[in-house]
Amino acid sequence: MYTLEVFNPVAQQRGTLTAMPINPRPSSLSNKTLGLLWSGTHGGDVALKRAGDLLQERFANLRVHFYAGSGYPAAPPMVTQAAEECDVVIGATAD
Amino acid sequence: MIEIEKMGKPAVPIVSGRFEEDAIASARAFAMPDLQFVIVPRIYRNLAHDECIRQTEAVIDDLVHVLTNRDDHKRLSTIETADRHRFEGADRYDAVLQMNEDFIMRDWGDGFPLSPATGQAVHELMQGTSLAPDHLVCDMPPGFGLATVEKIAINAAMAGAKPAHMPVIIAAVQALSQLGSHGGKSLLMSTSCHAPMLVVNGPIAQDLGLNPGSGLGPGRDNRVNITIGRAFSLCLRNLGYWYPGQMDMDTIGTTRKFVHCLAENEAMSPWEPYHVDKGFRRDESAISIFVTDGELDVQDQGNTTAEGLLKTIAYGCTFGTRSLGEGHRAERLIFMPPDVARPVGAQGFSKRGAKEFIHLHANASLGKMIQYMPLEGEARVAANWKWLETLSEQERLDMTVPVLEHAERYDIVVIGADRAKTLVMPSGPSSVTVGIDAYR
Repeated sequence: MYTLEVFNPVAQQRGTLTAMPINPRPSSLSNKTLGLLWSGTHGGDVALKRAGDLLQERFANLRVHFYAGSGYPAAPPMVTQAAEECDVVIGATAD
Repeated sequence: MIEIEKMGKPAVPIVSGRFEEDAIASARAFAMPDLQFVIVPRIYRNLAHDECIRQTEAVIDDLVHVLTNRDDHKRLSTIETADRHRFEGADRYDAVLQMNEDFIMRDWGDGFPLSPATGQAVHELMQGTSLAPDHLVCDMPPGFGLATVEKIAINAAMAGAKPAHMPVIIAAVQALSQLGSHGGKSLLMSTSCHAPMLVVNGPIAQDLGLNPGSGLGPGRDNRVNITIGRAFSLCLRNLGYWYPGQMDMDTIGTTRKFVHCLAENEAMSPWEPYHVDKGFRRDESAISIFVTDGELDVQDQGNTTAEGLLKTIAYGCTFGTRSLGEGHRAERLIFMPPDVARPVGAQGFSKRGAKEFIHLHANASLGKMIQYMPLEGEARVAANWKWLETLSEQERLDMTVPVLEHAERYDIVVIGADRAKTLVMPSGPSSVTVGIDAYR
């Protein structure tokens, strides 16, 4: 019987050292502002706008802002604007 | 989405089918492992309008749930963290086979047999550099694993590398981390087949036996080219987490992801070596990393004038797409063989002059260049190209434009054996050149 011992080739990820939890969610989207952050990929705008329409049907006084990016990932100023102006944000990877 | 969560607001991506593993891997890599998302079956980009609507409507309940509830359970990591692995076999050969089967199934290899990274093998490789084993070279994209010298040596051992190769491999890892935006993260994770290409300049190329001739292929003469490239590839997988289906999302894939390391044919070039263009001395050694997304053999069947040879290459450079989006940095990497470079140089063209001539003649039909992407949609056409929307399709087809922004978007590296067969590769972002001698 032969025992072979070898090193693990996989590195620890930086992200595991700096991991953050996700944010608390609102109990309802009523009277909130929803951001639709589109990276500019074909079809993603269609999906996000339909999702926004359906959520507005479900929740009273839900405001919707649409942000049109010009590529993936979305430009930092637009991401910051969406985070500042909205209570929750959805996006579509679409690729 | 992760950036928005980091700014304090709940954010949820709608993720297309085969990207579920990618979403999980990316959330872990970018420090938000519990990111919530919803899954739709198909990728939106090539769906008809009504199909986009239909599959979005089907997940609206899921979307409401993740926007208004924070699931208590945390997503469990599947990353194996044990420092070492043991395999028992009837003899050493049997144990090595078992190690290979296990590593391949974990996707830690490239599909070919791996050499065992034993303590002895890694110790020997560490003799090839003066750096300490725990020296952190970089966080390696796209998954940002901690690329210590020891981890690089482990992967180099699995590739069959020699101690003398270590400075080159370490420099290549460092170069990748400096590439483009966040080490070319988005390109590496693209559904297009972007792949790194390595080129070594300086005395170390000859010292190691890198082949500057027919160097981009298999066989005995390319043993060093293949081994160093393979070591880098394994680092990309196991340090950069560039695993297919997780952070390597190619639609079809490419053999260029079996990364090759070449050497410029400096002895046969009429010009200064590539690394000298980047600020290094000729007697220094350096490695350059490019990202390519295709390759085209551009044949010249008898031109002897510099202008004739360069016009042939210019036509070859029209191969490849160009986005009209803001800040697009499409380039072309030209592996020019001595049978083209030497007459071009002898007839008075500097390297810069050759690039300007190519740029002047590399024009293509604007309509054909952009037909891969519909013009409608407000996000894909940059403001300075909006006038295109006023033209008819025929007017766009009849209009020619330079395929790249300017002459410096072309890189020329002299490589190859006798014959005027140039290799042109769509490429970008701009290459990065890193000195090797600091890692000896």
